[in-house]
Amino acid sequence: MSVQVTIREEACRGCQMCVDVCPTKVFTYDDAAAKARVSGVEDCIACLSCVYLCPSMAINEAGYTAVKNFYRDLDFSRRMERFL
Amino acid sequence: MNRTNRRRSRSRRRTPPAPAVQEKEYKGHQGNTRGHHVKEMEATRTTLQETMTFMTALAYGMEQMADRGANGMAFVAGKKLGAKLAETSQKTDDITQALDTVRKLLSANHCNWGFETFKRKAQPTLITKGADGAEKLELVFRDCMIRQSLFRYGHVQKGSMCYMMYGFFSGALEAILGRRAVLEVTHAGQNACLKCLTVHSKES
Repeated sequence: MSVQVTIREEACRGCQMCVDVCPTKVFTYDDAAAKARVSGVEDCIACLSCVYLCPSMAINEAGYTAVKNFYRDLDFSRRMERFL
Repeated sequence: MNRTNRRRSRSRRRTPPAPAVQEKEYKGHQGNTRGHHVKEMEATRTTLQETMTFMTALAYGMEQMADRGANGMAFVAGKKLGAKLAETSQKTDDITQALDTVRKLLSANHCNWGFETFKRKAQPTLITKGADGAEKLELVFRDCMIRQSLFRYGHVQKGSMCYMMYGFFSGALEAILGRRAVLEVTHAGQNACLKCLTVHSKES
């Protein structure tokens, strides 16, 4: 599995939340530009914590396996079916 | 027709009789013969869903009442289950082989709880040995039923349910390796969790 992580530079506010949350140190902080950079994408486990946490939604991940939401309520889905 | 009869006839028109409830034969999306398999799978899923509801409610209630003690209770329950499942398994000293045995055990017990070993780029070997002789390795859990249950009910991660998993792996690996094993949650994410497995030496 090869995960691709990209940061939209113009959206990044340099809050460093992605740097703090990542368990495998995929991000580093560029002091000069005051922005986060992707430095170790090989270690990314695709936990998606950075994607969910980023306040400006600047991080995008691709090439990972998304866990299927098998917990969805079937009865609720059946009820919703008539509106779709 | 007098006024009363007119009213009666109007009310009859407004409330048509309810159609008889007929159970539709489920035939899958393309109307093929695999319909009964889909139905069977849905029934299993519903059962699983009810179990998840029950388990999460139980864990949440336990956390409210016993606070941190809930983690201990869940750990012991998981450890007993792990030890029981692995008691007849082949004993080994190799950690990766022991993990394979656990994987097979889970699969044999119809448990879809996939995990994989994880090696960082800068790490020379998969298993690192500490100064005290303890062996460490990282595991990634992707499709975790505990995470799914917790998210379904909006509960926080790293709670008593995660401790049950910690206990399960600890019990199973201790039964297979004959050494003390600890599985710590390094990071609990939305799509995957990173855990650190420490297997202590026989002397410690």
